[in-house]
Amino acid sequence: MKKTHYFFTIALVLLQLQGFAQTRVFKDTLDGSSETVVVTANRSERKMGNVAVPVILISKKTISQTGSLRIQDILQEQTGIVIVNSALGTSLNGYPNPFGQGVQMLGLDPAYTAILLDGEPLIGRNAGILKLGRLATGNIKQVEIVKGPSSSLYGSEAMAGVINILTDQPSKENIGFQLHRASNNTWGTTLSYANRIHKTGIQFFLNRLSTDGYDLDPNIYGKTVDPYRDWNGQLKITQELSSKLQLLISLRNYDAKQDNNYQIFYQNLPAIASGYTTETDRSAFAQFKWLLSPNSKLYFRGFYDRYTNQSFVNLDKTGLRFDETSFDQSVFKPEIQYEKNRPGKSQYVAGFGSNIEMIDASRYAGKQNLATLYAFTQKEWYLLSQKLTLIAGARVDKRTDFDLHLSPRLALAYKPNGHWKFTASAGWGFKAPDFRHMYLNFYNAQIGYSLLGTATLGQELTKLQQQGLLQTGADISAYANATGLKPETSFGMHVGAKYTSGRLVAEWGLFRNNISNLIDVYALPFTRSNGLPIYSYRNVGQVFTQGAEMDLSYQLSKHVKLSGGYQFLLAKDKQVLENIDNGMLYKRDPISLQSSLVSRQDYVGLANRSKHSLNAKILYETATGFDAYFRAVYRGAFGFMDKNGNNIIDNDAEMTPGYWMLNLAASKTIGSKIRVQIGAENLLDYTNPVQLSNIPGRTYFINLNLNIIQPTKHKLP
Amino acid sequence: MKNRFNFAIIAAIAIVFTACQKDDVAPVAVPAYSSTQTLTVNFSATKPFAFFGFKDSALVANSDSTTAKWDFGLRLTTFLVNSNASGPGKAGVIMQDGIFASLNTAPSSGYAYDTTSTKLAIKDGSWYDYNALSHAFIPKAGKVFFFRTADGAHYAKMQLLSVNYAPFAGPAPSQLLYKFQYAYQPSGSNSF
Repeated sequence: MKKTHYFFTIALVLLQLQGFAQTRVFKDTLDGSSETVVVTANRSERKMGNVAVPVILISKKTISQTGSLRIQDILQEQTGIVIVNSALGTSLNGYPNPFGQGVQMLGLDPAYTAILLDGEPLIGRNAGILKLGRLATGNIKQVEIVKGPSSSLYGSEAMAGVINILTDQPSKENIGFQLHRASNNTWGTTLSYANRIHKTGIQFFLNRLSTDGYDLDPNIYGKTVDPYRDWNGQLKITQELSSKLQLLISLRNYDAKQDNNYQIFYQNLPAIASGYTTETDRSAFAQFKWLLSPNSKLYFRGFYDRYTNQSFVNLDKTGLRFDETSFDQSVFKPEIQYEKNRPGKSQYVAGFGSNIEMIDASRYAGKQNLATLYAFTQKEWYLLSQKLTLIAGARVDKRTDFDLHLSPRLALAYKPNGHWKFTASAGWGFKAPDFRHMYLNFYNAQIGYSLLGTATLGQELTKLQQQGLLQTGADISAYANATGLKPETSFGMHVGAKYTSGRLVAEWGLFRNNISNLIDVYALPFTRSNGLPIYSYRNVGQVFTQGAEMDLSYQLSKHVKLSGGYQFLLAKDKQVLENIDNGMLYKRDPISLQSSLVSRQDYVGLANRSKHSLNAKILYETATGFDAYFRAVYRGAFGFMDKNGNNIIDNDAEMTPGYWMLNLAASKTIGSKIRVQIGAENLLDYTNPVQLSNIPGRTYFINLNLNIIQPTKHKLP
Repeated sequence: MKNRFNFAIIAAIAIVFTACQKDDVAPVAVPAYSSTQTLTVNFSATKPFAFFGFKDSALVANSDSTTAKWDFGLRLTTFLVNSNASGPGKAGVIMQDGIFASLNTAPSSGYAYDTTSTKLAIKDGSWYDYNALSHAFIPKAGKVFFFRTADGAHYAKMQLLSVNYAPFAGPAPSQLLYKFQYAYQPSGSNSF
């Protein structure tokens, strides 16, 4: 019955809790009656209404009301969350973006948002982007999105924020089955089982998804998205070892296979190449929760995850291997966390751990390891009769290859009365240079350029020179002892206000992020012997993102709820602004081809950012088990690629026009066990084969749900 | 075919101009000769450079690569100027930021030469942005090249308008089309 994007809402929570009971009560955020708990904002359980940093919460109910099987579809309906294509690979006309799509938050690229599953990081990012399609939606309990630098708790990558996807916990006996059928011969089947027997809890989830993919441009050989099938499985077991000690074990397995089938040129003749990409992601998580006293606990956690991706194509005519790549990443993360609660006075959380990562990929120079040690601490005080919450926290990270990095955060929330809540937060974020920045060793055989990571640069240049593959006379001495990259850093601020009164909930927020030491690609001053460039990475950029956001929701009648959100965003490069002010930046007229100076008005900002984005939703829900949910999401025009010779976005020809996505789903519960849902996504049939090949045209789906719930025989702990 | 025809006309005009100026003693600015041309430029290091001479306003035959008939040469994105390591001429170049139409005086000194084959007057990558995704070589806007020509006695200003791949069949292009605009001052004056 309710949706999304409320930063510190308890009204939301109340709606969710009581929606089923058809008692629509709007209470203020102070009475503490809410039981919905979020864990991501403070790395420990907090009532949603008490959180001092911006949090979006997406409930299981909302996910089920959208009917979507793709987490990115659900995320993009939240205010300030935009699903963007990787800036890399956007020009491969008619082919899917090989780097996929990710989450842009506060105007920052997908690489700067930490994505967690049950609090642990997902690995296997390709050029900074984590393929969200890897996650099934059927077992999601809730999604928590924390906006703003969160490195003080989560370390590297949490520069724009954190998305924590929490999956179902073992609960009362429940057997669920879902059949999903959608356009493009898409089939999904889901089986879930949960039970608690004495002191043991179990939760099992299995999902298979297959599709024929789709083709947006029949003139190009092959499909835009090739057929694939995914398997997703999860098993969670909880065991009460004693009244004070609980064990949680979670095992996860993802296994995907996708066809590769496209046209290449072999010996200057067109040829068809085909093969497969197989992906696996397997993780194991164990946690001991030790209740030291009623108000303090200790967690011991161990997490292991391994992601592999193997891809090949053979020439159809000869069967010979044309290309193959492999990628194998794993992480081991032991951690200890302590929590102390002084009810009504303060809460304290601290922990330490390490992150040991390994990577072995065909495009990287050999097998590489990185280890990070970290420790974090945060205290939260409740002052002025609990009207004021103050939070101070910090984390230190020490990775083997760079100096100790400190990330503090301060936040406060003030609730003067039952209607208003004001928040302010400031935090420092960072993102450590990742494996590709350091160890990439990539030669594009078709085009002829090289891209080398900083740690391998000196060695590779020497090798190239010895093999005579460098421009003659190139002076590589400056690169012999490559200096390491520094972490990218950010400082972010957010101020917000929230008003709750009767049927209305309104929220406003202003944010600003300054990012320094951005890592960017640059060309070395000499070339390969073929005359084509050699690229590497360096810390150069300074950018800022700033904007405003607003959310409104209004209960129009007993059955109808309206909600909507808007984000205004500016994201600019400080160096570009300086160059414009100094009269050093020119543009070329697309028709006359003559140059002229760029003005501040011309400069749109960083590519891929929409100045305006908004969403509007109508939810209709009856007491008799019928609901209909309509969502409209608008993504405003955004910069695509420079065309006029200044490397910035400064005219309409360089922009992708804005577009709407309209989605509708309706469901009806039949009896106590069956629910039927039908829906359509992208009702306007918007497509953009070149720049947004990830958007299929209009699709329809039908879901059949069967839920067998039995009253629990055992008391929940 | 059409291009060649244009070349011929331009060359003819240029010859007329230069013929007139042979007797000029002091360099008095006359209206500069302006033109827009397109050069077809090879990729491959095994293929010849495309040489261009401002004076004749024409592509210079490869057989004349060791003469002072050409001022600059291009292969892929490598610019040569006819001096030292690259040729017998005295050509030099200065790259300046600004608007082509309003930069009307060539600097009288400070010209860079092709000192050695690895230390060229125009550094590769200094005048374009290579987009590794679209593989486009986009000439930077607002870059004006001032040339002192191979004879060491004349000035030209030039700007690149566009660089595009020549139409191709097969896996990859092998030639680039450089479209550029220039003004040549036949009098020997450095004003345009």
